[in-house]
Amino acid sequence: MSRDPSVLRTGLLLCGLVAVAALAAPWIPGEPYRVDLERVLEAPSWTHWMGTDGLGRDVLARLAYGARVSLTVGLGTAAIALVIGLPLGALAGYRGGWWDAAVSRVIEAVLCFPALLLALALLAVAPAWLARLPETLRIALALGIVAWTPTARYLRAEFKRMRGSEAVHAARAAGAGGWRIAARHLLPQGLAPVLVTMAFGAAAAALAEASLSFIGVGVSPPTASWGQMLLEALRHMGRAWWLAAFPGAALFVTVYGFNRLAEGLRDWLDPRPLLR
Amino acid sequence: MARAVRRAVSAAVTLGLVTLVVFALGASLPGSAEEDDERARPLPPDYRAAVRAQFHLDAPWHVRYVRWVADLARGDLGISLREKRPVAAIIRERLPVSLALNALALTAIVGLSVPIGIAGAWRPSSRTDRILALTTTAIYAVPVFWAALLLQWLFSVRLGWLPLFGSGGVAHLVLPVACLTYGGLAYVSRFVRTAIVEGTTGEGGRVARARGVGPVRFLVAHGIPQAAIPLLTLAGFLVPRLVGGSLLIEEIFGLPGLGSLMFQSVLARDLPVVLALTLLSGAATLIAMTGADALAAWVDPRSRRVA
Repeated sequence: MSRDPSVLRTGLLLCGLVAVAALAAPWIPGEPYRVDLERVLEAPSWTHWMGTDGLGRDVLARLAYGARVSLTVGLGTAAIALVIGLPLGALAGYRGGWWDAAVSRVIEAVLCFPALLLALALLAVAPAWLARLPETLRIALALGIVAWTPTARYLRAEFKRMRGSEAVHAARAAGAGGWRIAARHLLPQGLAPVLVTMAFGAAAAALAEASLSFIGVGVSPPTASWGQMLLEALRHMGRAWWLAAFPGAALFVTVYGFNRLAEGLRDWLDPRPLLR
Repeated sequence: MARAVRRAVSAAVTLGLVTLVVFALGASLPGSAEEDDERARPLPPDYRAAVRAQFHLDAPWHVRYVRWVADLARGDLGISLREKRPVAAIIRERLPVSLALNALALTAIVGLSVPIGIAGAWRPSSRTDRILALTTTAIYAVPVFWAALLLQWLFSVRLGWLPLFGSGGVAHLVLPVACLTYGGLAYVSRFVRTAIVEGTTGEGGRVARARGVGPVRFLVAHGIPQAAIPLLTLAGFLVPRLVGGSLLIEEIFGLPGLGSLMFQSVLARDLPVVLALTLLSGAATLIAMTGADALAAWVDPRSRRVA
């Protein structure tokens, strides 16, 4: 791809759209939780813009509240991945030796599992400390524990590459200590790829949350989540297209938006546009 | 050779670490095997004691872990708490389904991605390149269970061409394989494309062009070999999916593979099965990564020097 500003713009636009829906959820017409058995499975109309579900709840309102879950888990997971991955990656790359070996083993160990499976195990058998947390945070944590490896790997590679560079030697000659070199000289260099992995990570986490809720171990029933709405759509397959179409489209927009955002950032930050 | 031994030792250490963590987590959970039985009917005390003795449940967890490793060394994976029969037998039953499903998907991903990548690299930033990139990234963002729903509705409910659910023949695998394939296309084809562009825009590429090498020969001789190594590394990362990566798809399409076995075993806290599958998936991951490294070193001597 050439250095195409439209990629970044599309990403920002789509992510912004989801964010607006999440923030404006209380003002969107319709009740996400009020059961109305008189108006079950109604097709989209002027009163219910996206129809109603199997319990007569408004699909549009549920969709908007679902955006909150999706964004919280997506961004929360990316943040947790950063908190774990940044120090570990930096330590492994900068210190090398024993630290590098230890961190690399842990990364390998985490990679041994399909990511979804580990999160699933953590949620399904929730240890007590995890079970006490609010639901979205719990899911973000379960996903974040697995999701930090790309951040750590990028940062490790970047720090390793930079460690022997002229700039670092110069800084050391000028009397800068290890911490100062890491924070002032290495981190700003390594932050660009980290930002990109965070955006990709948010997309993957939003998708993972929907997957977990879809198989029934994510967000628990009354809370509106897109994955769960799709699970309900499965029950009414062939009878109510709006139940599958809207949550699916919302999920698509979120995942596509974050991925475009990540790619746009990468193109913008990477001086070798042709290669991406 | 020393390098290979080192890799093997470090892989064994990693696997030991992973199983230890899983074991500790499993052991720290409330509830135990015989309590599950008790839910159906009260157990006589001596039977209960016999069950606890059979599964060594009164020993501390680290002692049980050592025992598990010792059993493993003799090729014994233990007995499933949920199905009350050897874990090895259960895995042997389910392995072919997962293997067939994922091997087909992997073949399809690579088989489709290489031509797409080449088509994109033919003229970087051309309209074809952009359209291919746009389509594959858009397809990538389609949630897999949503696509599964849509495909089931269209091909099974509406058209009636393919079975909706369950396993049996090749027809049962068409939709699941399609679902597993499309997501990987964007990633792998982009990978191939980038590698080829890297190969053809470098020094060597420019010299070859200047020498008058025609476009087709240029691509075949300079571009594609460059893509081989990154593709190998990538395949190393994709192979582990052969074991448990198709959890969602197996659940949705009712295929009795290892992914759904893992799902059900985790929910039922069937520790022996979870441990065995962890070991299997971990071993597959490490072997694939090491194997890809070794192959890459064989294909390209330069990469041998990079630690």
